[in-house]
Amino acid sequence: MRTVGKRSIVLYILLCLFIAGAVWLVISLLMNGGKWAMQPYNYHLGTSNLGEITDRDGNILAKTEGDVRVYSENETVRRSLLHTVGDTDGMISTSVQATMRANLTGYNFITGVNNTVLNSLGGNLKLTISSAVNEAAYNALGDRNGAVIVYDYTNGDVISKVSKPAYDPMNIPEDLQTSEAYKGVFLDKVLSQRFVPGSIFKIVTEAAAMELWPDTWQSKEYNCEGSVEIGGSRITCLGTHGAQNAYQAFGNSCNVYYALLANEIGAERLQKKAEEMGFGESLSFGDIKCEPSFIDLSAAGANQLGWAGVGQYTTLANPYHMLALMGAIANGGTYVEPRLTDSLDLFGALDSTDKRLTTASEASELKAMLRNNVEEYYGDWLFPDGMQICAKSGTAELDGKKPTCWFVGFSANPETPYAFVIMVEEGEGGIDTAGNAAAAIIGAVNANV
Amino acid sequence: MDGIIQSITEFMQTGVLPIALIVVRLMVAVMALYVVWRSYTSFKKGLRRREPVVMLANHASKTKYAVLHWENSIGRSKSCDIVLPDTTVSRDHAVLMRREEGWIICDTESAGGVFVNGKKISEQKVIGIGDEMRFGHTKLMLAKADSAPEKKRIFRGFSSKAASPFRLMFTATMVILLLAVQLFIGTGEIKFDAFIPFGIVFVLGWALFAYSTLALKRVSFEIETVAYMLSGIGVMTLAGHDMDGVYTQLAAMLIGIVIFCVLTWFMANIDRVEKYQIYIAGAAIALFLINVVFGTVMGGAKNWIYIGPVSFQPSELIKIAFIAFGAGSLYKLQTKKNITMFLIFAGVCLAFLFYMRDFGTALIFFAAFLIIAFMRSGSVRTIALVIAAAVAGVVLILYFRPYVMERFLNWGHIWEDINDTGYQQTRMLTYMASGGLLGVGVGNTGFVGIPAFDSDLVFGLICEENGLLLGLVILFAIALFILYARADVTRSRSTFYSIASCAAAGLLIFQTCLNVFGSADIIPLTGVTLPFISSGGSSVMACWGIMSFLKASDERTYAAKRMSRKEEKAHMNEEKLRYERETAMRERERERQKQRRRQARAER
Repeated sequence: MRTVGKRSIVLYILLCLFIAGAVWLVISLLMNGGKWAMQPYNYHLGTSNLGEITDRDGNILAKTEGDVRVYSENETVRRSLLHTVGDTDGMISTSVQATMRANLTGYNFITGVNNTVLNSLGGNLKLTISSAVNEAAYNALGDRNGAVIVYDYTNGDVISKVSKPAYDPMNIPEDLQTSEAYKGVFLDKVLSQRFVPGSIFKIVTEAAAMELWPDTWQSKEYNCEGSVEIGGSRITCLGTHGAQNAYQAFGNSCNVYYALLANEIGAERLQKKAEEMGFGESLSFGDIKCEPSFIDLSAAGANQLGWAGVGQYTTLANPYHMLALMGAIANGGTYVEPRLTDSLDLFGALDSTDKRLTTASEASELKAMLRNNVEEYYGDWLFPDGMQICAKSGTAELDGKKPTCWFVGFSANPETPYAFVIMVEEGEGGIDTAGNAAAAIIGAVNANV
Repeated sequence: MDGIIQSITEFMQTGVLPIALIVVRLMVAVMALYVVWRSYTSFKKGLRRREPVVMLANHASKTKYAVLHWENSIGRSKSCDIVLPDTTVSRDHAVLMRREEGWIICDTESAGGVFVNGKKISEQKVIGIGDEMRFGHTKLMLAKADSAPEKKRIFRGFSSKAASPFRLMFTATMVILLLAVQLFIGTGEIKFDAFIPFGIVFVLGWALFAYSTLALKRVSFEIETVAYMLSGIGVMTLAGHDMDGVYTQLAAMLIGIVIFCVLTWFMANIDRVEKYQIYIAGAAIALFLINVVFGTVMGGAKNWIYIGPVSFQPSELIKIAFIAFGAGSLYKLQTKKNITMFLIFAGVCLAFLFYMRDFGTALIFFAAFLIIAFMRSGSVRTIALVIAAAVAGVVLILYFRPYVMERFLNWGHIWEDINDTGYQQTRMLTYMASGGLLGVGVGNTGFVGIPAFDSDLVFGLICEENGLLLGLVILFAIALFILYARADVTRSRSTFYSIASCAAAGLLIFQTCLNVFGSADIIPLTGVTLPFISSGGSSVMACWGIMSFLKASDERTYAAKRMSRKEEKAHMNEEKLRYERETAMRERERERQKQRRRQARAER
């Protein structure tokens, strides 16, 4: 019988597997329970047990009155924060009310979604957003659509985030699902879409040149005659800039210079540099995975490579990624991940690793160039005194549509450590449309934060 | 009465009730854990000490062999219970076993044969104290055992005394009662009918208790207590959603308990079991045939039989037959070494299950088969071969049955299609998380309407309503069955019981793995029931039936008898007297020795 007794030890294999499975189950419940519970079909979730959302100054952005979810008293604030705060029906899947629902319901591993006094505490959220700045940003876009995001590149606090078109979550338009005006309204343009970058891509092309010719990139010269023939067709410039060095070409946003530069760098190296700087990678914003920026030069001819060097061809940029890039340049090459709440959860401190997009020397060179742009070309008078804005404008040409206008940059003054990305669809030009909106938004940031 | 109802209604509308119910659920989990753990420790406490029953004395070499088990292999092989270092002895020469007639020596096809008092025996022979046996050149005499020193156990399980079976039953009943109380007031309306299923479970459980302790005078009731509590939790969970289903479940529980009692009685006599094993296999195959001919397809598998309004799954009951046929006594294992019959039977069972497309059950049978085959043969190589063949079989299934393949492909991807392929598992995880540690309350569930929510997904339902704590206690209870089986494995009256109880415990825990981890997307979903808890009559019956193997494996079930208080007193007195007599004797002996020593010194 002793033999049978010994053989029965095989049962312990089963027992071990069983225990391992049970431990695995409990651990994954501990890690993902919030996500699992916060599903739209969950019978236990109503609006009645959602907590309050406030902005950085304590203004109410969303709260529950009885069984009804109500939002800010100011209609423009409501619209401007639709994509950030979210709607009652959960249509905006990247909003706080959708992604941080677990925090709002007071969900935790111990009490689940049990709605008693034991967990009615701690269901409130304070955002880093300033509703005043957000309102100004929304207004600064005027009657155009676009995306705005402003954040503190030292600690990650998002001050403003706008995606337009938006609608009022308290007066949902009847033609929301049918009207052409609301097409794609449920997607946050900052996080979940990408657009032709135009001249702001010259930052990447320039960084590739810095890497390739660390000592001579500044003195590299090309002659701009208004256009140039590369690979059998012409690449046009907005002006006739004559002989240009790097600083001049960057300030003038000379297409001829960067088209020729891109060809000298070569497709493979430009592709690699762009990827190092975050193209093709889905950056994370809390739990959200953002739409990756796009570049594919594998099949590009000389002319197409020229166009890619100035941010045309098939290149696409995600505004959140552009913000991260600005944050990185301002911060010596690595960026602090943007965030909407400053409350650290259990694992929050662990996985917020800073990510490197450029080397420290490239960051400081690019910073100087971006600063030079504002000092010498755009004008410091656009912005509040002493903010030392560093920026690059972009005008992305589209077929049969007015251009997509960009203005990306940051303040080099450590007192006002803000980075920003402003993208306006169907505008007139980079500086005219996005630059002026940026001036208004940065003014509001300066006045309110 | 009206006044009471009114005050209850008023209490229900206050904010105190939800908190009170959370406290109740915490009590349920803690008490359930107490029952589960104390049942096991009390079970262990009651086990016979590992001391020899008789001895085998070798007068030539002046050695004594302790006979520790009910069945003992004798031979030259190191794996034998009694190892005879004699080249004229076969590797597995004989088996010495205890039966009702007394000690029996069996020749297990040895080369030299077994001689008792000089005469060669043909197959088996009953022997008594003083009889001399010869194996090769070695002569052994059956002798009475000396009392061996008691070995100390390091871990005594927090309490040195066993809990009384009554107290454990009472606590288990309180667990079920508190579940009923929750259903009574917890759902927002007063539900008096919550107490009907509780009452029936109560009667069934305590009737079994009375039958076992009073009529049969059995000492232990731990296994039944745990099964009773698990069944009760299952019934009360079901009562929150499906009052009609509850009565089917209760009827199944009654039948299950009857099966348990009959099987436990039947297995009292090992010779009877071995005589009927072949008929059991025949009946199992007949059941399969009936299933295949008259069966109905449900959920993709043809595993249901309808007899009028009653439906059941024969494959559940065949599990019992499978174990009963697979296990065997040591004499049988040692003489008929080939396990051909069992292999053929297992093959036939699996073939039927495949034909019926009941792959989940097939997997469970296969696990039970592996355990039995390994315990019988001990051959790792054979098991490896069988597993390799099974993997090839699985590949073939995936190839020929694309819908099974689909389940494999969905595994780990349930969140990608929450309304189609991941529908069941996502709901299970969502509601399990919603419950937290202490649940949202009995009857307050989002599961209703989701396919198989009270069977395949029932673990999620328990965790949602009663919390993860109770869910884990249930898993713990099922896991402990392994330790029950292991505790008895060398103490049982025959390897038949050892193998059967290990297979039973292994089968239950394997089935639990498939159910819980499948529905939680840790492994692919197979759609089998959670033992005792899931809604499903055949399953509950089978679980109670399977419990009888664990029960039969415990030698106390048949050997020890509960003493009445008077007998107990008499026994205690006797023990006390014996103890006093022995100490007095030892005292006298010591005195005498001292005297002798003194004398010796004086002489010098």
